Amino acid sequence: MEYNTIDRVLLGASSGLVLFSVVVLGVLEILAGKPYSPVEITNEAGEVVATPAIDPTIRTGLVLLGLAVLLVWFGYRALVPADAGTSESIHSREQTAD
Amino acid sequence: MSYQATNPLSNEFELELSRPLTAYWLPTLRVVVGWWFFHAGITKLIENGLSFTGGPAYLKGMTGTALGPIPVWMGNNLAWLIEPGVPLGETLIGLGLMVGALVRLAAFFGAVFMTLFWVGNAGFGNGIVTGDFLGLLLFVTMIVLATGRYFGLDALIERTEFVRNRPRLKYLLG
Repeated sequence: MEYNTIDRVLLGASSGLVLFSVVVLGVLEILAGKPYSPVEITNEAGEVVATPAIDPTIRTGLVLLGLAVLLVWFGYRALVPADAGTSESIHSREQTAD
Repeated sequence: MSYQATNPLSNEFELELSRPLTAYWLPTLRVVVGWWFFHAGITKLIENGLSFTGGPAYLKGMTGTALGPIPVWMGNNLAWLIEPGVPLGETLIGLGLMVGALVRLAAFFGAVFMTLFWVGNAGFGNGIVTGDFLGLLLFVTMIVLATGRYFGLDALIERTEFVRNRPRLKYLLG
């Protein structure tokens, strides 16, 4: 089965969102300085002395959005027959002598 | 159409390793696992340089585990190697996985790290299958499925004349 444009867009978006949130924003967070992880740093009195450069709510939200897109793709594939909508299907073509 | 007892989903979502879905998912998983270790290593390097004293101390505390006296011995005698080795190792393992180079070798060392964390942390309050154990299995999965061949440098490296003349290198690549 060859993937059509919808397949590629959905799967690419899913992977892209997950990797953007985890890796790209992770790199930015490290480059922004402490804290290097998405948690607040507090002093002994419990006062917050440093906050994450990127709100972890945004990062986790993007990951969940990426996984939701993957779920949408599964739904799309479940509803649309594998060979529908693609003219470049190479799915088990029978070879005969005549 | 043939019936495949080993892969009952192959005609539904095309989960075979040679199919496009796998080519999207496996590299995604590999890069995320790589980032996990890269982040752990690079932040240790930033904060402590090559003197991660927490490593030997952690190993010395691993008494009465399934690994017997090995971790404690390592903590007592290999501190010179462990202090720089933990941050450097985690960083390089992560880099290898993210770019997909020497993935099987990197994942092997990642599995070694995770074995020590799984056994050493012993957070078995909710059963023996912990997050550390699942991390260990992720590294094993990287090895088993040769994930470096999906959008990874290993796919290119394995095509070089050097590797083709030395096929056993594929046990370190892939």
